[in-house]
Amino acid sequence: MNKLLAGVSAGVLALVAGNAALAQDLPGKFDGVTIDAKLIGGQQYENLYSRIAEWEAATGAKVNVISKKNHFDLDKEIKSDIAVGAVNWCVGSNHSSFAPQYPGIYTDLNALLPADEIGAYVDANIAASTLDGKLVLLPRAQFDVSAMYYQKSLYADEDNKARFKEAYGYDLTPPDTLQQWSDQAKFFSNPPDFYGTQYAGKEEAINGRFYEILRAEGGEYLDADGRPAFNSEAGVRALSWFVDLYNAKAVPAGTTNYLWDDLGQGFASGTIALNLDWPGWAGFFNDPGASKVAGDVGVVAPPKGSSGARTGWSGHHGFSVTENCANKDAAASLVWFLTNEDSQKLEAAAGPLPTRDAVWEWVISEAEGDAYRQEVLKAFQEAANGAYPVPQSPSWIEISNAVYPKLQAAILGDMTAQEALDEAAAEATEILEDAGEL
Amino acid sequence: MDENSAHRLKRGLLKAGHLIGLFLAMAIICLPGLWIVLSSLRPTVEIMAKPPVWIPNELSFDAYVAMFSGVGQGGIPVLEYFRNSVIISVTSTVIALAVGMAGGYAFARYRFRGKSAIFLGFMLTRTVPGIALSLPLFFVYARLGIIDTHFGMILAYVALNVPFTVWLIDGFFRQVPRDLAEAAQIDGCTRWQAFWQVEFPLARPGIASAGIFAFLISWNEFALASQLTRSTNSKTLPVGLLDYTAEFTIDWRGMCALAVVMIIPALTLTFIVQKHLVSGLTSGAVKG
Amino acid sequence: MRGWKPAPHVLLLLPAFIVLAAVVVVPLLLSLYSSFTPFRLTRPDSIYTFIGFRNYERILTDKDFWIAFGRTVLLLTFALNLEMVLGLVLALLVEKATRGQRILRTIMMFPMMFSPVLVGFQFKFMFNDNIGIVNNALQSLGLTDQAIPWLIDGQLAFIAILVAEIWSSTAVFAIFILAGLMAMPREPLEAAKVDGCTPLQSFRYVTWPFVMPFAFIAMTIRSLDIARAYDIVKIMTDGGPAGRTEILWTMIARTAYSDARMGLANAMSYIAILLSILFTAMFFRQLAKARQQIGAEW
Repeated sequence: MNKLLAGVSAGVLALVAGNAALAQDLPGKFDGVTIDAKLIGGQQYENLYSRIAEWEAATGAKVNVISKKNHFDLDKEIKSDIAVGAVNWCVGSNHSSFAPQYPGIYTDLNALLPADEIGAYVDANIAASTLDGKLVLLPRAQFDVSAMYYQKSLYADEDNKARFKEAYGYDLTPPDTLQQWSDQAKFFSNPPDFYGTQYAGKEEAINGRFYEILRAEGGEYLDADGRPAFNSEAGVRALSWFVDLYNAKAVPAGTTNYLWDDLGQGFASGTIALNLDWPGWAGFFNDPGASKVAGDVGVVAPPKGSSGARTGWSGHHGFSVTENCANKDAAASLVWFLTNEDSQKLEAAAGPLPTRDAVWEWVISEAEGDAYRQEVLKAFQEAANGAYPVPQSPSWIEISNAVYPKLQAAILGDMTAQEALDEAAAEATEILEDAGEL
Repeated sequence: MDENSAHRLKRGLLKAGHLIGLFLAMAIICLPGLWIVLSSLRPTVEIMAKPPVWIPNELSFDAYVAMFSGVGQGGIPVLEYFRNSVIISVTSTVIALAVGMAGGYAFARYRFRGKSAIFLGFMLTRTVPGIALSLPLFFVYARLGIIDTHFGMILAYVALNVPFTVWLIDGFFRQVPRDLAEAAQIDGCTRWQAFWQVEFPLARPGIASAGIFAFLISWNEFALASQLTRSTNSKTLPVGLLDYTAEFTIDWRGMCALAVVMIIPALTLTFIVQKHLVSGLTSGAVKG
Repeated sequence: MRGWKPAPHVLLLLPAFIVLAAVVVVPLLLSLYSSFTPFRLTRPDSIYTFIGFRNYERILTDKDFWIAFGRTVLLLTFALNLEMVLGLVLALLVEKATRGQRILRTIMMFPMMFSPVLVGFQFKFMFNDNIGIVNNALQSLGLTDQAIPWLIDGQLAFIAILVAEIWSSTAVFAIFILAGLMAMPREPLEAAKVDGCTPLQSFRYVTWPFVMPFAFIAMTIRSLDIARAYDIVKIMTDGGPAGRTEILWTMIARTAYSDARMGLANAMSYIAILLSILFTAMFFRQLAKARQQIGAEW
């Protein structure tokens, strides 16, 4: 059925666009073309770029990497380029959470690539890459959604099981709901030596966590008109979940200053029982040279909220082609090449999650015989099924910056959850109005 | 006799107290730095351990091997960064010194209207926070097409260091007696020759001290560099540190290893120049 | 012929003028202009809308801005004074040492070699309440059985930032004061001894007045580039939690790039620049005074 639809829409597109690129085989031939590219840099991302040489050999084109920077600096740079009108390059690294901030500079890839190729990516990832009907980035195998890491031995311990059952009235198994997560975190905590769990406490990180718990609790961040709606009853429930853990000392006292690096190091130090975290850490946690809990790490899907939905804040890296690009076909071919099956296999083999259906199957079959890797993939695949991107508003990051200090204030007890959310919503509304989105 | 030994005891105590104080101070200065060095040599599991592992169980150069093993194998283009850092820091220091010498000489040797206002104006250019400067500077650079070039970075760092070098060097030239150069001129030297043969050698320590400060500032500068550099064409080591951070993860051990690579040249240079540095500041900056 | 040739001091100052104009003054004028517009990075056209003093009005009536402003002044005051005192102590200790001066001086400057980014990460990890070595050391020494939330409590976080800042910058003071100590003539000290002054007295009345100008130079230099503290604060707390450690520079950087509201951020920068000018001018005057005291020509 899917295939059929894809075929039909490909036909429609071919008719509409009448574009030569659709008929030709990828990657195509582009002798003498030079593509200027801005790519995300850093150890985790650069392995893929060895494939660029293969693309150059296959197409006869050349790639000129004019910038290679870390995620946040690249964002700054692209914004600076927009500001001074210097978007004179063709291909840029992009991210589904950041893409809405760059309105208009990236072209619609639907028009440049055959629809059956686009159909080969995971549908949810394509949906998250589509803004106002335009496919602005093609996902690479750097997909991020969180799953629950836990220390296995804690759950195997008979004494723990008995005491937990007595105190909470149900069996001690890795948490499947927010309530269980909270119960177990409190149960395991023994400050200052050991904590039940932890959460990212600042910047977009805590806002993202709040957003996904809000959704799991049945609330919405922005309503259908794009108005902030997180100061609802569900919002208070979600925020109270954070506050409650903090007050119960089930999280380290420093948690409101933690970012991902602190969280990863914390769980690896063996002093945290439960840790909702990203796939990038899976290898690190189970590496005896890096982590105390190596060999004792379990992973399950992220917890469900009272609405029955699991948390699923997600994002993925990808590549975009600019509107200003003179050789859009060549650029699209490069972007496709860097995210095609072989490229995704190359990246996914090192641990990151793929965004193509076929590569998901491939990594799972590759993990045959590696119980930990299988467990990781199973948990993350389940997480991926319920994953969604951040609200696609250009002001998302700005709203985050206004909201997170209020969330922190509620957690630290400076104000109540309702007050914090009301103030945050008022500020967010003002931001959206200033930006002309309301 | 008794008084003598009491005196000696007191002196001994004072000396011991001084030694202990010195040792403690040096320990406090060194520890965070040495912890970084140590972190680059031990497995990550020991770095953030609880309870802490004070004495490393095993040391290895894995992080360094990885750093140099090439992009894609856990490495970063450290050689290119290093090259850029050296070129940019050294060239900008040399130019800042030359410009500073010219400016300092003018302030020290000539009388003209608005001298102290101009002097203060120079200093105040340094008060502009990098963040206020970075976008407009980017704008200008983008128009000139000198983003991501050595030239652009050198220009920025020269501007960063010129107020400081002018100030220090001005002080040194003031301290060199005017008569010396005049005497040389009477002996048949041109002003130019008198400068190089008489005044410059006397002011050399001051120039060395201005130089080391300028060098250290350029070597470690991050805010402007992260805005004005883009690729291995001009990225410097401090910007390269961030290659060890990904969106959600950080390779702290790798960062520490790169930090050590950054420190070694700076430390060596300081060690060589420090004699001039102290004596230079001594005679120049204040008496000037 | 000589009539139209520029005066030599003009020629000599010209390079400095050109460089500073190109890199500092021109961009600064641009950003001054943009502070009167609602300029957003992601909407380049907005730079052509002139809104007068609206950005400034907005900032000047913003409570959070003034709190951050006050905190910045407080941080500057504490950091500079403590650095001066510690730098003095350090310089005295090093100067008294009879052997190993070269090594000691090099070690003294050791913290200056570290990039502020790295210092930020290092101190953030050290002050981590759960796995940081500060708490671990305190706990294993039995000094506390609590996990002290260093970076959470407003005052503790202020202290933690101060410690990082002081660690990385005391060396500047130490090196200048050391230079002063070494330049000091011996005779007045010996005369004081003969007159029966206690070591403390001779320090107060002989050594300190001599060394003071050096301390002020260091202070001027430090107040000039204290914005370096930005990198450290950004990584350690980024102004959080709940705005408890927000200083001007973290606020400006977030507004400028993350929120992309460059116009507003530039207006904030201008107020921050005024602050730095104030500090610098103040030290400059004190420096001039101190110089006169030791009879140097100015």
